[in-house]
Amino acid sequence: MHTFHYPHLPTELSTVHVALFNNVTNSSEIRSRIVRASQLHGPDGEAEREAVNFAFIDARLICSVLHLQTAVYQAILAQAQDSLRTKTVHSEILWALNPTNNISEAIRRYGVADSTTSLIVVRISSPHLSNVQELMSRVVTGTLSPLEDLSNITDWTTVKKYHKLNTEPALKAVAKDSAQEHIVVNEIVTSTVATKSVSA
Amino acid sequence: MATQDVSPTLKLLEKSEKISQGAEAKIYRAQLHPTPFTSESNSDGENVLLKYRFHKQYRHPTLDASLTKSRVAGEARAIIKCLRSGVNVPGIRMVDAAEGVLGIEWIEGKSVRFLLGGGAEDEGDIVEDADAAKDEDEVTEVKEEDLLKEYGVSADVVMEMIGTELAKMHQADIVHGDLTTSNMMLRHPASPKGLQLVLIDFGLAYISTLIEDKAVDIYVLERAFSSTHPASEGLFAGVLKAYEKKMGKDWAAILRRLEDVRLRGRKRSMVG
Amino acid sequence: MPGRVKKRSPLKAPDRPFIALGLEGSANKIGAGIIKHDPDGSTHVLSNVRHTYITPPGEGFQPRHTALHHREWALTVINDALKKAAVSMHHIDCICFTKGPGMGAPLVSVALVARTLSLLYDKPLVGVNHCVGHIEMGRQVTGAHNPVVLYVSGGNTQVIAYSQQCYRIFGETLDIAVGNCLDRFARVINLSNDPSPGYNIEQEAKKGKRLLPLPYATKGMDISLSGILTSIEAYTTDKRFRPNGPTAEDGDDVITPQDLCFSLQETVFAMLVEITERAMAHIGSKEVLVVGGVGCNERLQEMMGVMASERGGHVFAMDERFCIDNGIMIAQAGLLSFRMGFETPLAKSTCTQRFRTDQVHVTWRA
Repeated sequence: MHTFHYPHLPTELSTVHVALFNNVTNSSEIRSRIVRASQLHGPDGEAEREAVNFAFIDARLICSVLHLQTAVYQAILAQAQDSLRTKTVHSEILWALNPTNNISEAIRRYGVADSTTSLIVVRISSPHLSNVQELMSRVVTGTLSPLEDLSNITDWTTVKKYHKLNTEPALKAVAKDSAQEHIVVNEIVTSTVATKSVSA
Repeated sequence: MATQDVSPTLKLLEKSEKISQGAEAKIYRAQLHPTPFTSESNSDGENVLLKYRFHKQYRHPTLDASLTKSRVAGEARAIIKCLRSGVNVPGIRMVDAAEGVLGIEWIEGKSVRFLLGGGAEDEGDIVEDADAAKDEDEVTEVKEEDLLKEYGVSADVVMEMIGTELAKMHQADIVHGDLTTSNMMLRHPASPKGLQLVLIDFGLAYISTLIEDKAVDIYVLERAFSSTHPASEGLFAGVLKAYEKKMGKDWAAILRRLEDVRLRGRKRSMVG
Repeated sequence: MPGRVKKRSPLKAPDRPFIALGLEGSANKIGAGIIKHDPDGSTHVLSNVRHTYITPPGEGFQPRHTALHHREWALTVINDALKKAAVSMHHIDCICFTKGPGMGAPLVSVALVARTLSLLYDKPLVGVNHCVGHIEMGRQVTGAHNPVVLYVSGGNTQVIAYSQQCYRIFGETLDIAVGNCLDRFARVINLSNDPSPGYNIEQEAKKGKRLLPLPYATKGMDISLSGILTSIEAYTTDKRFRPNGPTAEDGDDVITPQDLCFSLQETVFAMLVEITERAMAHIGSKEVLVVGGVGCNERLQEMMGVMASERGGHVFAMDERFCIDNGIMIAQAGLLSFRMGFETPLAKSTCTQRFRTDQVHVTWRA
């Protein structure tokens, strides 16, 4: 798991914990826990919500760490400026990742699904939160892997589809060179995520 | 939510290195994301360029806020359109429209203006721009050939690259609005994306299908060339040649209009 | 600025005093001014007389009636100027007149007087560009060194900077002039044209509170004003518009003519300040000189001042004697060119409605 600290961000949002889990076996369970947590009342509900207080992201749709960091950062900015479009800063990451404004589509596409096998788990918190990795591992059953593994996981076909890139001149220009194409796609996707707050 | 006295983006600016200040914006070099680890190839390292459209005291605050927001948005959207169209432009890393800040990919390289040699700086062309700090090492007496040698290209090739990028941009119906050799950079061959001619500063860019707008766009660059690099005037022909080649059949109409624009100097006759 | 060498001015100090009569009538003001250049290099305004053709509220001025007005008032204004200056026509060295740009008939009506006087008293004629007149008078009155000039009037809107014997136009309006925009709006809300529609808009704007959204159209160094005029006019047909102010039953959401004047000024002036600032940044200049009738507007002067001081610079502005079209500026610009040997032969003393500022060869500057 990696931890990034942003000293200029508000304290309670300044620390970002990111972990990549491969071979995830309990995706359906995670998904139902999230749903149930939103429905429960009282102290039990709060405890459960806290237990799943992460962003669960389908790792196949992330092109690079920069891509992820860009989405996380924009989500934090929205929280800090009181301009969230979704309920929490974690769900805001999913919204930021999706090219359209449809929140349920964002969750469906980028969030954890029953079939998800590789998950990126993100927790945004103050620097004081410790044992985050353990908290994550209580929820996710999978192999904690180095973030570098991401390059083997990205599903470029789906990424291109969601961002409607297949007909764009930029891609036609590099169609024959997949390494180049990935660089181009990563750039467009990352920039699009950064610009989401002002795109029409 | 806990409230901060100073917004996060402004806090970021405070600890960033100010590079230059133009009429509209202040430019900073900043580290946005902490380095994760050594092996990941974030194509441009952790540096970003922050373009801060600062508050203008002379404007009514409501007007100022909405204008700033729409300009940040406009610039960002023009860049995205360029990216999708395959035009070499810097990527976007962060947007804070409320504060008027655009975070842009840091480009390791030099401006074309610098590489061609500043040439005669006549009265009209002292421009305070990001060049001043992008050339971190103060190169004083280096000849033009030496500057380009490091990049492995000749001035002629650079002209071709310019012409090609301009054509791609116009084919995507994007008009830059402020083409000068200060707004073009050569990405260093050693950088992950390799040697590229990159168009920057889309603050005045807009979408247009009009031949007039594209011709004027070219004309502005032509004029900038002759006033900033008077000894290199012959080179500009190389730009047009490459532009023509990339444009194809649309070139004839644009050339005709460009000749028109040259005659009238983009100015209209006045009425009283 | 790097490498700026103090260039020697080609204009030598005169060996004797020179006196010029200047006649201006390109729009609805007819002016006569007499200026003196002394051998010690000083310049004196001997007289500056003007009469304005004021139309009833809601009406603009037409060329034909304006020309008639000028014809009616020309001799009175000129005689008054001579009397105030305590000179006679025989003391005059040259007769300067506005060659253009401007409205055809009014221009010609004044040129006719100039030519007649020239023949009667055997004095050389000097045709002058109206805009250059504004610039030269501005430089003279304010002492500005090498400023970026914002020239804003009923007929012109330009950002100008001097370079190599030419007043280069850096930016301008793509359609109508800012004064024209303000004047036309004044007509829509039926403001008095006395002393000028622009002045009355300025006074009404001071009572406005609400900033209504208007299209903001700067295009690089240029601006476009026709869209904003259409929009501001559209507000007068809005349900919330109250031409006579809010009634007792009205809530907060009303639009008054004062609000519209306020919004128009704030938006249009912001655009002007922006293109001026761009020019300053491009050239590296710290001085702004505002000339032309709209330059009298104190809000514009204030905004420009804020921008200039943020850049460590300074605004030069004038009062209505010199901002608004006048004869003395024609005399000044005319005499400068006359002293460099320029004259307009009678056969060439025609007027032209289209006469760009950058067409003038500014021989009297380095």
